[in-house]
Amino acid sequence: MEGEDWIYSEKVKDHFMKPRNFLFGDESQFDANAVGQVGNPICGDQMKMYLKIENNKIVDVRWKTYGCASAIASTSALSELVKGKTLDEALKISAKDIDDYLGNLPKHKFHCSVLGHEALEDAVNKYRFTPEK
Amino acid sequence: MTYLDYAATSPLLPEVIDAMSAAERRYFANASALHTPGHLAMNEIEHTRGLLAEMINAEPEEIIFTSGASESNNTVIRTFEGHKIITSPLEHHSIIEAAVIYGGEEEPALYSYMLANNEIGEIMPVKEQVKKAHKEGAFAHSDLTQVLGKLPIDVKELDLDYATFSAHKIGGPIGVGALYVRKGVPFKPLIIGGNQEKKRRGGTYNTVGIIGFGAALEHLKKVNSWSLYDTKVRELRDKLAERILTEIPGSSLNTELERDKSLPNILNASFEAAEGESIQLYLDAEGVIVSTGSACAAGDAKPSHVLMAKTGDAEVAHSSIRFSFNPDNTEADIEKVMEVLPGIVNRLQQISTVTMRSK
Repeated sequence: MEGEDWIYSEKVKDHFMKPRNFLFGDESQFDANAVGQVGNPICGDQMKMYLKIENNKIVDVRWKTYGCASAIASTSALSELVKGKTLDEALKISAKDIDDYLGNLPKHKFHCSVLGHEALEDAVNKYRFTPEK
Repeated sequence: MTYLDYAATSPLLPEVIDAMSAAERRYFANASALHTPGHLAMNEIEHTRGLLAEMINAEPEEIIFTSGASESNNTVIRTFEGHKIITSPLEHHSIIEAAVIYGGEEEPALYSYMLANNEIGEIMPVKEQVKKAHKEGAFAHSDLTQVLGKLPIDVKELDLDYATFSAHKIGGPIGVGALYVRKGVPFKPLIIGGNQEKKRRGGTYNTVGIIGFGAALEHLKKVNSWSLYDTKVRELRDKLAERILTEIPGSSLNTELERDKSLPNILNASFEAAEGESIQLYLDAEGVIVSTGSACAAGDAKPSHVLMAKTGDAEVAHSSIRFSFNPDNTEADIEKVMEVLPGIVNRLQQISTVTMRSK
């Protein structure tokens, strides 16, 4: 299959066909200390970001997604973008940054990158506003 | 490539390609012209008209050629502009959206019920609806796009006033369709400004396309298409259904397989916790071509209206895949699907946020 025959960019295709940092199977396998979730399977997409945060830095990340190729590629791309970033740096990653990184999603799929950004935000907020365990 | 999207469109049959390429050279003249080349082109058009009329038990003058099923559907609905239009929720958008625009309160009403649905293959009780319509003094239309070549059609026996047909679902060209209009029923042309089709549809005759449609109809007769679908195609479809259910956890069927419940060539299945567009595109990467009722794939905000009407469950609709067969498919195609589909679905289920209810 040639890239130009596809409705998506090469980068989206790459992240869809070879997603990075996904959490396969049982989620307890990954020792996350911040988890964020957005979306709803009823609407066609749902994303969950699992972060391992040390000293305000995202040292590792996993994700799960129910959704289309754009949703999978968006979470995969985001996982690459946030790794090693401080929480403040990570929060600055916008939906547009994800979209740019992927070489642009089709217009009607832009909401997938928005969801990715929101899942990350949700995880970081939960971490910040949850008292130390 | 394992092509299982024949209900969306089918490749041109070899004899259709031959007939059309010969026609491009031979029947280029405007079929409405009085000169000999025009007349010869018209003869070919009338040949296709006769074939279709014979196949559906209509009179040739009750057949109008159109640009396809959507035009045929739009034409009938618009004929009843301002009148009550009663349809099923499983209709094609060219019925549903036209009914929203043109529907009104006046009588007589129009009933429009497809005989079989394109997404799940469901066969609907059209005869009952027609009876009901006529009892009320209303008129009855049926979209038979998916049915031509799959089940025998008799418009007299169905007692229809209008019926819609398309060429590209039977190996004919895209851009050619037909509308059956029973003698004496109301009719309003959609395309005006020409004497073609007895002033019922303006525009220069699509001679080559109509000849291609004719070649596809000849093919249906030659191979006894109806019996091929009822035997070979049905067996393949049922076999895939059985293997999906037994080999893929979380799978369910949206098509009822009983003979009188669905077309023999369509199988719609859902895969819990796995989204349809992703399944479709991973299958595509493996050379298996299917379609999905997921919203994402269509670039729409909502998933398939048909699956929503049938199941009332958006998740089932988003997770649906349609496999549609034709007699060219073989056991090897089923093998190919089952070689790749279980792994694709499993991987999506394992990375899904949705926890499977059935394990």
